Parts: sequence; structure tokens; C-alpha cells
Amino acid sequence: MKIRHLVLLAGFALASALPAGAAPAKLNTTADHSKFKELQQEFASGPEVTKACLGCHTEAASQVHRTKHWNWEFLNPANQQRLGKKNVINNFCISVPSNYAFCTSCHIGYGWKDGNFDFAAQENVDCLVCHDTTGAYKKLPGLAGHPPYKDTEVLPGSGKIVKATDLAKVAQKVGKTSRDTCGACHFFGGGGDGVKHGDMDSSLASPDKELDVHMDATGLDFTCGTCHKAASHDVAGSRYTPVARDTGGAHIRGKEDDSNPATCQSCHGETPHKKGEAAKLNDHTNVVACQTCHIPKIARGGVATKMSWDWSTAGQLSPEGKPLLKKDDKGRVIYDSKKGDFTLGENVEPEYMWFNGDITYTLLGDKVDKTDGITHINKVGGSATDGRSLIWPMKVFRGAQPYDPVNKTLVTPHTAGNDDTAYWKNFGWEKAIATGMKASGAPFSGQVDFIKTDMSWPITHMVAPKEAALGCADCHSRDGRLAKVGGVYIPGRDHDPLIDLIGWLMAGGALAGVIGHGALRLVRRKD
Amino acid sequence: MKTRRILVTLLATGLAAASASALAYEGDWKRGRVYYRSVCTACHAAQAGGSIAPSEMTKAQWQAYLQADKHAKGKDSLKQYVGKPYRASIRAQNKAADKFADVPDEELFEDLKAFVIKGAKDGDAPASCS
Amino acid sequence: MERIYIFKRFERIWHWTQALLIIGMMATGFEIHGSYTLLGFARATTVHTTAAWALIALWVFAIFWHFTTGEWRQYIPTTENLTAMIRYYLTGIFSNAPHPFRQTQLRKHNPLQRLAYLGVKLFINPLIWASGLAYLYYNEINAAGYAIGLGSIALVHSIAAFLMLTFFIVHIYFATTGHTWSSHIKAMVTGWEEVEGDARSVP
Repeated sequence: MKIRHLVLLAGFALASALPAGAAPAKLNTTADHSKFKELQQEFASGPEVTKACLGCHTEAASQVHRTKHWNWEFLNPANQQRLGKKNVINNFCISVPSNYAFCTSCHIGYGWKDGNFDFAAQENVDCLVCHDTTGAYKKLPGLAGHPPYKDTEVLPGSGKIVKATDLAKVAQKVGKTSRDTCGACHFFGGGGDGVKHGDMDSSLASPDKELDVHMDATGLDFTCGTCHKAASHDVAGSRYTPVARDTGGAHIRGKEDDSNPATCQSCHGETPHKKGEAAKLNDHTNVVACQTCHIPKIARGGVATKMSWDWSTAGQLSPEGKPLLKKDDKGRVIYDSKKGDFTLGENVEPEYMWFNGDITYTLLGDKVDKTDGITHINKVGGSATDGRSLIWPMKVFRGAQPYDPVNKTLVTPHTAGNDDTAYWKNFGWEKAIATGMKASGAPFSGQVDFIKTDMSWPITHMVAPKEAALGCADCHSRDGRLAKVGGVYIPGRDHDPLIDLIGWLMAGGALAGVIGHGALRLVRRKD
Repeated sequence: MKTRRILVTLLATGLAAASASALAYEGDWKRGRVYYRSVCTACHAAQAGGSIAPSEMTKAQWQAYLQADKHAKGKDSLKQYVGKPYRASIRAQNKAADKFADVPDEELFEDLKAFVIKGAKDGDAPASCS
Repeated sequence: MERIYIFKRFERIWHWTQALLIIGMMATGFEIHGSYTLLGFARATTVHTTAAWALIALWVFAIFWHFTTGEWRQYIPTTENLTAMIRYYLTGIFSNAPHPFRQTQLRKHNPLQRLAYLGVKLFINPLIWASGLAYLYYNEINAAGYAIGLGSIALVHSIAAFLMLTFFIVHIYFATTGHTWSSHIKAMVTGWEEVEGDARSVP
């Protein structure tokens, strides 16, 4: 009897204990990396971790090796331009060569400190920067893509110490990519939070619905990868060959579709507005990009984005020869001796233009001329009539940057570094550009002047809830958002002035006529 | 007798496993971040005279604060604002409280702890409130 | 003084409904055109489109009514008395001269009215109707391969709208030129017109 009781008791205990005992199983993965012997060791460097990863994930590094994220190089099949971060010039921090050790803190690899980086080395792939879940993995500028292995000052003299990375802890907790991992670089493009894009900054790490209806952390909670669906480590979507107009309809399981899965249409199709009054909006989708109405403003999360950057004023020093830093009333830097003058903006209305996905860069060696007015760092293709364009919102980033007035080319200055030519240390353009152009393998006359440039960034993130989308009158009015966009008749904005004049004269004439006639009748009748 | 011993052993292991599992929970700082910002900050900003950023205190200060379990200068319990009844009471207006309505109290508290420790002044990634 | 029954019930309902719809559509239409802001573009388009469909339905009924009752004959143009009518409005009306036209149930409209209404029915209305539908179904028309610019459609629609507005102004004024200032308007409400003299309504 006693034994029987005990059996029952034990049975109960197990029944209640076992499911609980099984509970810590991570339900979002089949592998708990903290249980892997290979990761239960002290790692001295990032590449050592990568070697451990590759022990199981044998193909991962060679997959990564084929991507833009790794090569920073992309051959545009449309115009054969050699692009990628390694090659392009922008009007933010300008260019990568000669500044590798700083710029490559955003490279998914280890050790790219100069032009001799080994792109074939598997252990140079940085698995952790994308797969970290702890938020404790940080690559610092100047370390050529390595995280700090000992306590390190972020920038020499800043006094801000970043502690040595606990590689074993980070490695044992790897997981899927997240807004935080992608954001570690993409939120900070251009050298700081929100600087470059305007529609991407750290506020998207954990946004509310007002900021982004899809990434809403308490709602749909999309990660970047939900739309930018990666296969074999190749992440969908491109800044160099974007899809401006996706007419392929929504992707459906089981239907083979190798088109870009990151477009709005790849989920919503081309007629997403429900029946009833809103259905008229579907008549807009062959003219206006979804983003135009659904991203009414950028930089909405409380982080300002840079709107302009004038390098020509850089280098002013205090009477004591010290670099200067000026801030606006919100504490944001608007002048830095290293970089020149900035303007910043929050809740910025984008600019609008026809865009067909064709982007032509002004590369090193392309002729530029100050007398041309503004040099377009990237020329955005598109027109009302090419059948491939839609009206897109853009952040147009304007600036002035150094160029070679003799050779008539843009230049690639050596900005970052602790040496005697780096601009940010020595404030001398000639030496900095000479070093930079040498690293780029391009001729430099020795003369420096500044040229006005602009750069267009198609806007696609920070999608607002539908209640906050643009209303009809935002564009359908005489001086609305699309006031400057040609090639399309917009009711409420456009009219034929001659017909209007004739029409009003005719109606007004009729009115004057009948009033006169009536007055005459009135007068006569009184007689 | 042998059977009995086996049963006792079984029972003991079962209980041990159960308690170990409770201890094994490790705070999810991302979930903590959402709760901190959407519940704590939202209310503090609207009703309690301004928000408090995790980076305003050190790890040790946060540890002590969480340990003391005193909210509003000791007027009430901090844990109360993480508990299920509180979440249930605000879930109609608060999406985070709604989303995490069924998360065990201890887990959510650990989540919050993980976030503030990580975001503390001397934490891995000092965090602001938004 | 005599009263004759000119406008039947359907005619009156048709007229006033149409009047309401057209006034509403002119008000919203010129707002959509960008001439001013009244309801806001979104509501203006909704009202305009809804009224358009109501008007189209009304017109279908009215056309049916005109043909089944034979009332369409009221709009057959005639030059008889035309110059006399013009002369009356230019001079006679100021000296209380007798009206050269005598209304009857079979001849409700004077020659000028006939011409004006026929112009509205055969020119302005079809122009508004066709261009308006093309405006609404612009996307479908283009998808079907007919490359018509929205600008051209809008141009035609606005020309028609200005014509309608002009007609509307003149029409309202002429409504005051009856036996008294208000007799025509009363007739359009009640159906009964006061006619000068001893004219007998022809059965």
C-alpha cells in the first residue's frame, strides 16, 4: 500500500516536474549554443570564434564571401559601374580607402586595415556582429573591424572606455539577426546615429507603432530580415540597384519568385487598399510609390538626421590652435573643425522625384566641374514616361566637398588616422588628399577646391500607421508635396491657365450681363 | 525497499529539475527594453514627472534599487508594476502590457533587470529612455 | 390671369434633384480643380463622385421618361418667334411689352429655351458625362491600351464645367423673367404657371 502511494506520489511529482523541467528549451531554435563544447572556451580574438563557428557551419564563410557585405564591391550590371563601399565616393565622410581601419569597424570581417586585406580567409568573417543577441558586441573605429579585446578608449583622448569583449559569452548566445545587429552599422551610417539615411536610426531598435508600423516592438515586431529575406547569407535589397516599381504582385508560398522580397508590393501587392472609398487609392499605385504617402516624414524617432555638410569650412581652429565644436540649442553638433558645418533635421519632409531604380554614381576619375552647378554624387534615373518609374520620396543630402580643380575630379582624402597626413589630426587638405589619392591609385594635382554636391537616398523605412499617411490634399493642392514633380497631371495642383481664364471670364461675363439686365428691369419697372 | 529507493530518487530528481528550470531563466533584455519603454517610461513621462533613463544609474545602483523593491520613494512595491494584475489593468490602453500579459512575473522582472543592467551608466550599452 | 399646369410631378422632382446635384457638383468640382478649398479635397471628391452617380441614375430615368412620354419633342428647335424672343429680352422686357411666347402644355419652352436646353442636353451634358466617366476610369482606360492623358480628360471636363456654370447663371436669371419675378420659380415648384392674358391651355 505504502509503495503504491509512493508510486502515485512520484508519478504526480514527475508529471508536474517534467514539463517544467523541459520548459527552458528555447522554442525559437533547435540549438542552444551555450551547450556546445566548442564555444565553452576562452577566445582571444574574433577570428578564433569564427573558426569555432565554421567547425559546424562549414559553408557559412564562403557564402558570406560572395556578398556585398563582405566585398564592399558591386558591379552594376546595368551600366558596368564598379560600386560598393570600397569604390564609391559620397558627401558624408567621402571615401573608404586610406581610412580602412576606421571605416571597416562596419565591415563584417576582421582585420581590413589597408588595401592588402585577405578576402579569401574564412576566419576573417565576423559571424558575431550579425548574430550577437547580447547587445554587448561592439566594433570600434580604428580597430579594423575587431571588437576591443582589452579595455579600450573609444577615440584616443575621449576618456570613454569600452570594456574588453566577453567573446565566449557572445558566442554562446548567438542567434538570428535583429534590428539591433543590422542597426549596429546601418543606423549609424555616415558616422553617427541617423546621420545618413533619415529613415534609419537607433530609434528603430525598439520602435512604437507610430514610428514604424511593421517594426513596432509591441506589435508586428518585424526584424530587418523579415523583409530583407536572406538566403545563403545574401541579404535581399540593394541601394545600388533598387527596385523602384515592383509589378510582380505579392509573393506566395509555393510560387517560385526570385524578385526582391523587400518591396512593399512583395507582400501587399499593387492594390492593397480596401474596397470602398480607399479603393480609389489603388488608382495611384502606378504613379506613386507606397513610401510617398506612407512615410510622411523622416527622422521621426527623436534622432536628427544630417541634411547638409559643408566640408569647405572645416579646419577653423581656436586661437590656441585647438579644434572647435559648436552645438545648437539641442546640443547637436553643427560645427566640427574636423568636418565643417552641418545642418540637421527631425521630422523632415522628403523631396519627391520620379525614380526607376537606375542610379549612376559620380566615381573617382569622372570629370566634375564647379561651373556645372551641383555635382550629383548619384544621379537618380526616372521619368513619367519610361514605364518603370514611380514618384519616390528621397532624402537629398547636400554639401560641399573637396575636389581637384586641375584634374577636375572628386578626391578621396585621408581623414582618420593617427599619422602626420590624416586631416582630422593635422587639418591640412593638401597632405590628406595626397595620401588618400595615393591609396586610391588616382592622380592628384596638389590643388584643392570645394565643389557643391548632392546625393539622393530613396526613403523606405519608418512606415507610419495608415492614419498618419498623407492625405489627398497634401499633393492635390496648388502648392502641395508634389508641386515640383513634372510629367503627371495632378487634379487640384494642375490646371490650364488659359482655359481657366476663358472659363471665368465667360461665367463672370454672364453674371455681369444678367445683373445688368436685371438692374435695368428694376429701374424701368419703377419708372 | 529497492523500489521505494528508486522512487524517492526519481522524485528527488524531478523536483530538482523543476527548481533548476526556475533558476535557469535568464533575462531577455530586449523584452525588458520594450516593457521599460512602453510601460515604465510611458507612465513616468506622462504622470510621474519625467522619464528615467537606464543610463542615469550605475549597475550597482540599479541592483540595489531592484533589490529594495520600493517604488515612488517607498510608497509601493516596484514588483507590483511588473505583475500580472497590473498588466491586466492597463492592457486595454497599453500594447506592451497586452503583449506580455501572460509572461510570468519573475521572468518579466528578470527581463527588466537585464535591460537596465545592460543599459546602466557603466553597463554594456548605456541606454536612453526612447 | 390664368393658371396652367405645365410641369408634371416627375419633371419637378427631376429638375430640383438635378439642380441640387449640379450645384453640389459645381461647388465640389471647382474645389477639386483647385480653385478654392471648401470641404477638403478628399471629401470633395467623395461628394462629387457620389453625386455624379446619382445624377447619372437620374438622367437615365429622365431620358426614359422623355422618350416614353414624348416630352422629348419639347426640345425640337424652332426658329419661329426666335427673333421676336431675342428682341423681347433686349428691349420689350424693359417696357412691360407683352411676352411674344405663349406657354402651353405642348409648348412649355420658348424658342430660346428650346435651343438652350437642347444645347445643354446634346452638348454640355454628354461632354461632362463622358469626360467625367473617363476621369473616374482613367486607370482602366489606360490599362486597356488607350493612352489618354489625365490632363486632356480634365481639360475637357473643366471646359464642360465652365459651360455648365455659365448656363447655370443665365438659367437662374431667366427664371426671374416670368410674369412676376417669381412666377417661373413657383411654377417649377408647384407645376402651375401664371400666364398673362386669356390664353387657354390646349388640352
